[in-house]
Amino acid sequence: MTRKISRRDFLKLASGTSLFGLGVLASGCASEQKDEGGDGWMPDQYQGRGDFPAHLKGRVAISPKNPSIMRDDEKCILCGQCIEACHNVIGVHGYYPLPLKDETACIGCGQCTMWCPTGAIHERPAVDQVEAALDDDSKFVVVQTAPATKVSLGEEFGMAPGSIVSGKQVAALRALGFDAVFDTCMSADMTIMEEASEALVRLTQKKDVLPHFTSCCPGWVRFCELFYPDLMKHLSTCKSPAAMMGATVKSYYAEKKGLDPKNIVTVSIMPCTAKKGEALRKELGHDGLQDVDYVLTTRELALLLKKKGIDFESLDNADYDSILGESTGAGRIFGATGGVAEASVRSLYYFATHQAPPANLLEWKAVRGLTSVKEAQASVPGVGTVSVAVVNGMASGRKVLDAIRAGQGSRWQFIEFMACPGGCIGGGGQPKSQFASSEDMRQRRIAALYQEDRGAKKRASHENAEIQTLYKEFYGQPLSERAEKYLHTSFVDQSEKIFDAETQHAPNTPPKAPKSQPAKD
Amino acid sequence: MAVLVDITKCIGCESCSVACKLWNKLPYGKKKSRKQKEEKDLDDDTWTVIQRKRVEAPSGKGYTRFVKKQCMHCLEPSCASACFSKALRVDPETHAVVYIPELCVGCRYCMLACPFEIPRYQWDEPLPLVTKCQLCASRLKDGDAPACVSACPTGALTFGGRDELLTKAHAIIEKDHRYINHVYGEKELGGTEWLYISDQPFEELGFKTDFEDIPPSTYTHAYLSKVPFLAAAWGLFLAAISWRYYKKHKNDPPKPPTPEEETREAGNHGEGDGMI
Repeated sequence: MTRKISRRDFLKLASGTSLFGLGVLASGCASEQKDEGGDGWMPDQYQGRGDFPAHLKGRVAISPKNPSIMRDDEKCILCGQCIEACHNVIGVHGYYPLPLKDETACIGCGQCTMWCPTGAIHERPAVDQVEAALDDDSKFVVVQTAPATKVSLGEEFGMAPGSIVSGKQVAALRALGFDAVFDTCMSADMTIMEEASEALVRLTQKKDVLPHFTSCCPGWVRFCELFYPDLMKHLSTCKSPAAMMGATVKSYYAEKKGLDPKNIVTVSIMPCTAKKGEALRKELGHDGLQDVDYVLTTRELALLLKKKGIDFESLDNADYDSILGESTGAGRIFGATGGVAEASVRSLYYFATHQAPPANLLEWKAVRGLTSVKEAQASVPGVGTVSVAVVNGMASGRKVLDAIRAGQGSRWQFIEFMACPGGCIGGGGQPKSQFASSEDMRQRRIAALYQEDRGAKKRASHENAEIQTLYKEFYGQPLSERAEKYLHTSFVDQSEKIFDAETQHAPNTPPKAPKSQPAKD
Repeated sequence: MAVLVDITKCIGCESCSVACKLWNKLPYGKKKSRKQKEEKDLDDDTWTVIQRKRVEAPSGKGYTRFVKKQCMHCLEPSCASACFSKALRVDPETHAVVYIPELCVGCRYCMLACPFEIPRYQWDEPLPLVTKCQLCASRLKDGDAPACVSACPTGALTFGGRDELLTKAHAIIEKDHRYINHVYGEKELGGTEWLYISDQPFEELGFKTDFEDIPPSTYTHAYLSKVPFLAAAWGLFLAAISWRYYKKHKNDPPKPPTPEEETREAGNHGEGDGMI
């Protein structure tokens, strides 16, 4: 029932409401107005007079299409550590000329993921794809493990840096359901067979392409293609050990086991994010098949094991599957800086002299350790003195490469390049259980690898029985036609993506050829 | 205070947009109502953004350039001219075009008025506000550069007085023939606090270039400025008529009710269904 109210009551109500509203408005106007323009938090270097020059400012550019790494903006605090790693350790950020040509340079090494304190930068994940392949019964899923993962995976499960967990890793991978577990150390031996033979040819016949550059590090290869394409002819044409394993699995192993290579999925466990980019290279494959289908970093493998509830520490040691599972000490030290050079020279010595290398080449101290550029000489009868340089960290690599550009290339005959400090054991896909710049952790991992080498019955790649069978049955000789097809690759000049003569030459001077233009900060 | 953007130095790292989010405490949440566009663009939680542009040079080569987008902070802002509640105004100390949420009525005239299409609306909020870059006015008052400028690692963003930056921009263009001889924002719509220099044509980079050199408010100011007086005068006019009518008729004898009205009132009372 509605009540009739008088005109007077209505007017009273209306005016009362209006007065109340006016009061609210007035109190709003009288309240203290805060300054417009934000009051959030930013790191120290942006506080105070925020336009002061600061060492650590901003962050590196990561393209959304980057095959190796990604960034979650929400976690980024602009600490500037990625720039520190990319500029000072890897020599990429700040070394590509501006204005841009097509893209910002990235070699995919992933050092920024190691330095990033909030985990904003991380590898492009492949765990889901690997799980899907494991669940697919029509696929034969083969996995291989890189040398450096054997001395670091344990850290993800609370073990001390440098714990050797190769046997447990094999058991864990079997538990995950992989159909075959192979050793990248075995294909590292294969790489040495090819690379040492190639280096011997260059040392004795094709001296114009000396110094010989190693090509197993995908970060370094990309670095060379982007910044030093004029020196690409020095690169060994050998594929990386991971790609060699993939190619051999999809040819020799498939043939031997009567498998259709199309149904084989090759997964590699790598200490490296650049390998994810390497796996996509058109040059690394045959007959429409990619050598490596999916790459998991050491961190991703740990994640997968934890997801599946596999108790890593309690696993018993297991052995790699034959016929691609035997490794020598030479293959095992690939994960440490200087390892490729040392392993190559051991076999090079044998190929040149048909004699076992002397003891000093089996404990070649001069090429070991964390010094960024190491130099050493090895005397090989019939070849002479081989001058070797070992570079880790591409920022130091620039000094060596610039010296070669300046005509000092004859100082060295063989140069090993590793993009990451310490080699693969310090790779961008490794566990972050210690502070990124900790040398102690790298040294312990390296020490573990050399311990594995010393403990090996065979210490030179050519002694590997499975390698000998593989060459007898399939490849014939190193550098044979078949070996060239499956184990060798080519490189592509990528410099035009970052260098451009028209827009990047110095002000008011005529354009220069892009290749002779030094990269400027 | 002004900012000079040197497009040739931008590497697209988006430090600026993260700095903006940090300083203004803006969330990253993806809202359902928001369409995911191909190109990154501003929204109510994103006040500055880096857009990737591909420029085809006459030589046939392609170049990638990154363009920072945010409020241009016009010297004579159209949004402030359109805002009748003075929620958008030029801060006298910093010359930033600031937004005072307490005063906003939510009419969104500013969004229609802005020639650069910058202001965004909080469509997901029950009491929505307009959002846009505030040029970190609070930082400027402390003597700091805006958050985005302080975070730029390559020196693509420079902060300073507008005249000083204009001189600098022209000096850069003069010294380096690769730059286009144009400082975007110097004259556009009467000038803006954000200035851009580039080595690629601005129209190719997504900038609107068909602007006049005078602010749009020049055209509307002549009559819009008279609106308050007209409104007041109209009120006074109506009040005067009303008062005159009241004076003329206050002594009229009350009209006797017509028979129809009488019967209807009686009927209503009878049913007890009263109306106000």
